[in-house]
Amino acid sequence: MKTIHLKVNGDSYELSVEANQTLLDVLRDELSLTGTKKGCDSGACGACTVMMDGEPILSCLTLAVRCDQRDITTSEGLMQNGTLHPLQESAMKHNAVQCGYCTPGWILSAKALLERTPNPTRADVQRAIAGNLCRCTGYKRIEDAILDAAGRNSDS
Amino acid sequence: MKLPKFELADPVSLAECCRLLSEKGESVQLIAGGTDLLPAMKNRAKQPKMLVDLGRVPDLNTTSYSETQGLKAGAMVTLSRFAGDPIVKQKYPLLFQAALAMGDAQLQAMGTIGGNLCQDCCCLYYDRPPMLRQNLDPCYKLGGEVCHAVKGSKTCWATYCGDLAPALLAMKARIKISGFRQEKIMPLKELFSGDGKKPHKLLPDQVVTEVLVPPPAPRSGGAYLKMRVRGSIDYPLLGVAVFLILGSNGRFFDNIAAALTGVDVSPVLIDGAEWLAEGGDSQEIVKKLAETAYKKARPINNTFGYSPKYRREMVKIYVKSAVRQALAMAEKQGGAT
Repeated sequence: MKTIHLKVNGDSYELSVEANQTLLDVLRDELSLTGTKKGCDSGACGACTVMMDGEPILSCLTLAVRCDQRDITTSEGLMQNGTLHPLQESAMKHNAVQCGYCTPGWILSAKALLERTPNPTRADVQRAIAGNLCRCTGYKRIEDAILDAAGRNSDS
Repeated sequence: MKLPKFELADPVSLAECCRLLSEKGESVQLIAGGTDLLPAMKNRAKQPKMLVDLGRVPDLNTTSYSETQGLKAGAMVTLSRFAGDPIVKQKYPLLFQAALAMGDAQLQAMGTIGGNLCQDCCCLYYDRPPMLRQNLDPCYKLGGEVCHAVKGSKTCWATYCGDLAPALLAMKARIKISGFRQEKIMPLKELFSGDGKKPHKLLPDQVVTEVLVPPPAPRSGGAYLKMRVRGSIDYPLLGVAVFLILGSNGRFFDNIAAALTGVDVSPVLIDGAEWLAEGGDSQEIVKKLAETAYKKARPINNTFGYSPKYRREMVKIYVKSAVRQALAMAEKQGGAT
């Protein structure tokens, strides 16, 4: 076991973790932050995407012991003071959710994109969420939601 | 699936890292980004007793450039940081394209240059959960004595699928390798062993620590084209990098090279230098490049997606398309790539 210090959604945690625990398992099982989903658990679906120090990463392929002193954002950290994040509002407005399993992942991918590129094109959006598989929406509604949240006309 | 149990060492110096690798031998694995290693561990294809983390070793996380020496990139630079470097984008567009062709935004943020070069070979009979392997005898790559992809083969045919290697090979990149007792700089092409089971020639204590790319010649251009089923995540079913330098003194090209990935146990380099000395017009040279690439490509039926025959037929087309794009880049800029 090794002790790590993590900041998750602004809260600091001191945790004892095994070398073989992934960040995904720590978030879900130790911190009860089950918004981050376990899909393929092998880096192929993007459902477990979280932001680490501003970049989108796959928490199922990240060893928790390597996350000491890192800053993590999960879907639970998007809502501020009871107000949904613009990406969450936009996802609802555009019906970009059906089963909802991929939703936390693509929203975090989109958040990382918008922090880097506040006015993305549709191609930028497509590249940013290419690693987030969705079997329900066909992606168009997700792209529209992200473009709308960025203040862009979703027909662009 | 949970990872098997292992011990993690996080050395803070390269010497300590190489010493650990040297002492522990076969039971230890180096971990950089982890995007290639951890899925194999989850599948129980690899079960090292110890992982040595390269993440805290200093000075492996930077890039630098000089007009005379060219580009120097540390092995732990992530693909997203590499592609986001203004020098890479402006002066090395071929490398920029190849870095962004790898996986998706998440994998690019995690995967490293060194890890991408040293990624293991792929085969659908190997890269699968134990449950789906249980009715198959262990293949060469799993320590057995059979190849399910090429029946009757005496060796492993797992395919090299890195995206950066062909681009770097076409640009005549070199790598720095550090070991417990010495370090050396060698051409990248010498890294690859030609054996799908153990695709790299690294000794147990050796680590790829730097990639060195010559400064881009004036009037040069490059392109990387990747065939895959989906526009994300997938490994290349065929990847073609072309790098060329427009000629002087009446020659059309001063140099032209193509490199392939996804079609053999190692990346395949086709260097046009010898034909250029023989002369010939540009169309003949490009035709010879495409035909040689076609002859050298050996795709096999060990992946999902298109058939080996189709992938091999597409080699010529991809080489010619990449040459066209590289030519357009070289002619448009008229100077630096």
